[in-house]
Amino acid sequence: MFVLAMRSIRQRPGRFLATLLAAFLGAAIIMTFNSLHDTAAQHGIDSVSAETLSTSASVVGGYGTLLVFFAVASTLTVNVRQRSRELETLRCSGATPAQLKRMVVGEAVAVALLGAILAIGPAMLGGRALLGVFQDSGQVARSVDYSFGPFALQSGLGITLLAAAGAAFLAVRRATRGQRQQGRARTFFAYVALVAGVVSVTATFGFSATDAALMAAPAYGAILLSVGLALLAPRFLKGLLDRLQLTGASGWLAVRNLRERTDQLAGILMSLILFTAVSTATLYMQAVEGDAVKASGLTKSVDAKNLETLNFTVVGIIVVFVCVMLVNSLYAATTYRAREFGGQRLAGATPGQVLRTVGAETAILTVTGVLSGTVAALAGIVPFTMVRTDSVLPHQGLGIWLAVVAVAATVTLGTSLVTARRVLRTPAVEAVALAA
Amino acid sequence: MFRTARRTHDKGPAAEALRLVKVSRTYGHDDSAVTALDGVTLSLERGTFTAVMGPSGSGKSTLLQCAAGLDRPDSGIVMVDGAEMTGGSEAELTRFRRSRIGFVFQQYNLLDTLTVAQNTVLPLKLAGRRVDRKRAQEVLTAVGLGDRLGHRPDQLSGGQRQRVAIARALVTEPRVIFADEPTGALDTRSARGVLLLLQEAVRVHGRTVVMVTHDPVAASYADSVLFLADGRLAGRMHAPTVDAVAERLAHLGDDVTVGV
Repeated sequence: MFVLAMRSIRQRPGRFLATLLAAFLGAAIIMTFNSLHDTAAQHGIDSVSAETLSTSASVVGGYGTLLVFFAVASTLTVNVRQRSRELETLRCSGATPAQLKRMVVGEAVAVALLGAILAIGPAMLGGRALLGVFQDSGQVARSVDYSFGPFALQSGLGITLLAAAGAAFLAVRRATRGQRQQGRARTFFAYVALVAGVVSVTATFGFSATDAALMAAPAYGAILLSVGLALLAPRFLKGLLDRLQLTGASGWLAVRNLRERTDQLAGILMSLILFTAVSTATLYMQAVEGDAVKASGLTKSVDAKNLETLNFTVVGIIVVFVCVMLVNSLYAATTYRAREFGGQRLAGATPGQVLRTVGAETAILTVTGVLSGTVAALAGIVPFTMVRTDSVLPHQGLGIWLAVVAVAATVTLGTSLVTARRVLRTPAVEAVALAA
Repeated sequence: MFRTARRTHDKGPAAEALRLVKVSRTYGHDDSAVTALDGVTLSLERGTFTAVMGPSGSGKSTLLQCAAGLDRPDSGIVMVDGAEMTGGSEAELTRFRRSRIGFVFQQYNLLDTLTVAQNTVLPLKLAGRRVDRKRAQEVLTAVGLGDRLGHRPDQLSGGQRQRVAIARALVTEPRVIFADEPTGALDTRSARGVLLLLQEAVRVHGRTVVMVTHDPVAASYADSVLFLADGRLAGRMHAPTVDAVAERLAHLGDDVTVGV
């Protein structure tokens, strides 16, 4: 089965590209931040530099790692699900469920390993650049040398492989086993994530206003709540669809397609909710933090500005990463629908109608994802603002949120429609025959 | 049951349901070019059931796809119900198809996300036509699925799925129904049911059916058989029987060899 796994990777490298990209980017992010730990652990580093480095590595590296874990896992889930037909064929030709599991998990691990190894170089450059930003902002002494050591390597490889193997294992188990049990397990995990998220968000109140790690608890909380909401989102979506009356053939088809596919959409929704929640939460918290620092007048203005730049750089990396993952999983999910689109076209749908259907589906998805993500973000922002300042809500207004929503909508709609257009270039008859 | 609803702009069906004039289609380029259709000219009257047969690679699927507007011929004219099919955009071709043509495919091509009833009315929805649920139900009852309206395709057997596909093709009241190996994936009993439905559509309701098949038994349900070899018409047989079709097919192979 391992041989089969390797062969299937070699024969169709294209289909593993999404997994490879996810693993590569995820590992790069984790290793970039965690190499700060290695840098801090070197001999002869002054305590201030060491503390700054390890704090930011723990705070951002910590929730960044959590984020990468779920993002990689959801992308992989989308990818494995698309292979149900192939797995069914293998099962019919005598593969036992255990063999299938070994094959799919083996593939995922092999691809993730490759991605993580490829990420080492970029992560070193990224870590070095990050250290440079720290030094420019005066947070870390100039004399500190960059080091990429065992901590970065272990966490990068470990987390990426664990996420890949875990997601592949769960997805293949779902594919080879009945549907019944999966619903209960999902509900269980959803509630675990929600409870953990609430605990983490509440823990914010345990920190003092000037604590360097203050942002960690609400950020962790927002991510965990996002995951919980993403797992429950199919149900929420179903409720929304039952109330939704869309006119026109495309709208009619969109509602029915989504209703049947709600369970498969959790992976895409996960990326979308994570993106909305993490970018909204971190950007607002950063803005609140910046204002609070400025108000206290503790730091000299140049340093404050540098610090702000540094923080936004770090948040920016995370946000861009989730955005890429969103594009990645949407692209994979849409490409896979060639056959379905072919069927619609043969039933008399014009390419325009297929695109409108995809557009309507994506719009409904975006609304669901953005709403859930906003809830998760608020759950993180409110406690942070309450602890850091005296108010409940940030004074920054809706600007940041609107920008995040605009990016989310543009990215989801753009990716879906551009991918669907590309998929539609294959003649309908061929598209239907391809996967048969 | 399959009454012909007159649409406002409709001048009624033409006497000639399908006409192909010197239709050619070549795949690939230069050295590797394969001529799938080589100047095929034919005419089919309204209310006929025609089978198209030929060895693998004889161009029968290409013929069907070009005639049905799923593929564009390199040259030649295709006329369906007196209207010429012009090679416009896919959207134009789709609009041309859905007002005139119905399809039945070997792999059914039903949408898994829709129920039997929803699959059946889908072409009407897409064409923006009024959806008459009662009529859809009548058509589904006529194909023996009146009690399966709310089922999904994956809950049905192959034969049942193909009957949904036939109901879907009939509900738009097309001028021509194209069937590509409609019994190719079915057991003999289901296949017989499907073929009888196609026959009924022609004999009782006056539809025109063109069916590509490699099975002499399936072809024997048709009024006539067109034989195709190397992208050219190689004969026509009226009132076909299983044995006569099989015999002719066997000799088609000989002719090809002699021709080379």
